[in-house]
Amino acid sequence: MASQTSSRRQFLKSAAITAGAAAAVGFPAPARAQRPKLVYWCYQFLKGSDDARAEFAREWAKKNNVDLQLTMVPWKEFMPKITAAIEAKATPDIVESGGVELRARGQLLDVTDVYKKAEKAEGGWIGPSSKIMVEPDGRVHTILYGLQGFMTIARNDLLEKAGLKPPPATWVELLQWAKKAQQPPRVFGIGQAISNQTDSQVWEDIMKSYGPRIADDKGKRVVLGDHKKEMWEFLDYFEDVWKSNVLPPGVVTWDNTMNNSTYQAGKVVFVFNPVTISLWLEANNPELLAKTGHYTYPKGPKGLVQPLTYASRSIMKYTKVPDVAKQFLLDSTAFDKMNKEMMHSQWAPVLKSYLDFDVWKKKPFMKGLVDMALKGEPQSWPDVFNDAWREQSTNCTVSRMLQRLVVDNWSRDKAFAETIDVLNKIYTKYA
Amino acid sequence: MGLLAPTVAILLGLILYPFFYAIWLAFSDKTIGNPGQFVGFRNFAYVIAWPQFSAAVTNTVVFTVCAVAIKFVLGMAVALVLNQQIRGRNFFRAFLLLPWVMPAFVVYLVWRWLYDPLAGLINYALMDLGIIGGPIAFLSDRSTAMASVIVAHAWRNFPFYAISFLAGMQTISQELYDSAQVDGASRVQQFRHITLPSLYHIIGVVLLLTTIQTANAFEPVYLLTGGGPSDATMVYTMLVYVMGMVNLRLGEAAAVATLFLPLLIGGVLIVTIMLQRKANA
Repeated sequence: MASQTSSRRQFLKSAAITAGAAAAVGFPAPARAQRPKLVYWCYQFLKGSDDARAEFAREWAKKNNVDLQLTMVPWKEFMPKITAAIEAKATPDIVESGGVELRARGQLLDVTDVYKKAEKAEGGWIGPSSKIMVEPDGRVHTILYGLQGFMTIARNDLLEKAGLKPPPATWVELLQWAKKAQQPPRVFGIGQAISNQTDSQVWEDIMKSYGPRIADDKGKRVVLGDHKKEMWEFLDYFEDVWKSNVLPPGVVTWDNTMNNSTYQAGKVVFVFNPVTISLWLEANNPELLAKTGHYTYPKGPKGLVQPLTYASRSIMKYTKVPDVAKQFLLDSTAFDKMNKEMMHSQWAPVLKSYLDFDVWKKKPFMKGLVDMALKGEPQSWPDVFNDAWREQSTNCTVSRMLQRLVVDNWSRDKAFAETIDVLNKIYTKYA
Repeated sequence: MGLLAPTVAILLGLILYPFFYAIWLAFSDKTIGNPGQFVGFRNFAYVIAWPQFSAAVTNTVVFTVCAVAIKFVLGMAVALVLNQQIRGRNFFRAFLLLPWVMPAFVVYLVWRWLYDPLAGLINYALMDLGIIGGPIAFLSDRSTAMASVIVAHAWRNFPFYAISFLAGMQTISQELYDSAQVDGASRVQQFRHITLPSLYHIIGVVLLLTTIQTANAFEPVYLLTGGGPSDATMVYTMLVYVMGMVNLRLGEAAAVATLFLPLLIGGVLIVTIMLQRKANA
């Protein structure tokens, strides 16, 4: 048996080879020092979707040797947090909310090149996506990855039991059906807030389908006062809804979750909400989901007004890694990634290739989103989405007018005059 | 002088700078991400003419006065009970703090559920007892909304009053009560002439702190009503939030807060002077 002992020279030689080999394989320290750092604020709203996006981001960072710092920010806190971050000069590189608002404040990096590359790779943008992204000068500062809109979500079983075949074609028909199908106090007809929360925006959408609009085509001058006749028609409709007792008690202080929870508890026939309600039902109450229909809004006397909001990613202009961030935005729009993510998300498609996603075949209740994306218009339409419109919207101006009528018992003229005054105050600031 | 430097630095950095910066904001057109220009009194004129501003002034005064009064009466009553030799006194003293140590968010969500017209416990109980025929939308009716918010807020915060008063009562010598009893003083007279005067300084501090805290309360309104229905519960903190954080108009939000500053300082001065006079009398 040969001796296993080594000389001192051999030991030093083998030790040197081992150390050299280890260094050649890893180079951990210097490589880590050069890794770009990317701070990503991810919109937190629906767990399945949130997890899918976070998982993609982590895998992408690993693959691209990027040091990712991911923060999940609850939807409702996004703007206050980014506001504070801007003021504190401690902004993330990528944000997943408030694209249009931050663009208006000059906080975002130009990503027109990303827009064009995604357009080419995925066969073009669809629906109102381009209208939302492309600014008058042709530049783009935020990249959409999903459209979202309030749909008519209906208890098909109760409607059919009442001899009705959904969906209702007009808002008037919807009210009649709600009255016919409801069984108060167990089930009410329409679960819609008339409060100081943004879900009350539905009333502005209904109002617009009756003809009134807020400002002129330039989005500068308030023209609501020119639409008094149509406004009175809308208010006739609203008062019919109020007096018909189809609204559950308490809608004038509902927050943005109450329509969801009331529908999920089986207590209303109709609600207007993104498809998130149904994603919750899919996991928690599939029996109720099977009885639920998903449709675009009904039409008003002046046609369909189906506004769409959006989900987008933007790069803050302060980023130190613009190329890395742009690559992330582009890779985030890729078909395979989005096909997987959409199985857990609430978004309507924004790119042509997305029309082939598995989700539209595997989850029939999601198909309404495609129809909505193709028929919808940018949020605020026919008004211009600008800072003034946004402020009157977050101020819930139309809903406040309706509350003046039914909570404070004001006359229509007085409530309408106050609304025009408020709108003028807001629009004058931005003129 | 050198020894004072850290104190001066802390005072300047943590108190004076934010205070004067907020006042400067009120005179600027500052929006998020933009430095803002001096605009004189424009923001003040704007917010004073804003429809919810006058409601915010009235509601803030009503909310503050009513909530402080309820908390005071409730806190004093509970302190008097817990100052007696009753069985399980220590348990009750600890139990008393429960509403106060619970996170405000949880407390107000529970109250929202209690008030709910469709699933709330209060409506169920009142209907079961035959007191009401149909559900009451406590938070959604102009006539009940503010009272409902005040009750929820008072429930959460009265333990601070009770514990503070109780601590004060325990420093009062038993001999005072014994000699008053010998002189034939009733319980009410003992309370009026011994307990209350002995607590003046504590009452002063508690009222001072909690008047400021109550006037600046935000969570109860935000979580229960969002300022509604219409503007029935719109208090100034809610208006500041809407203007600053929702509408992103920091200058206007700061103007609202600045306009309320004299009101708050005035209220605090009145409370302090009244109590000082009483204590010196």
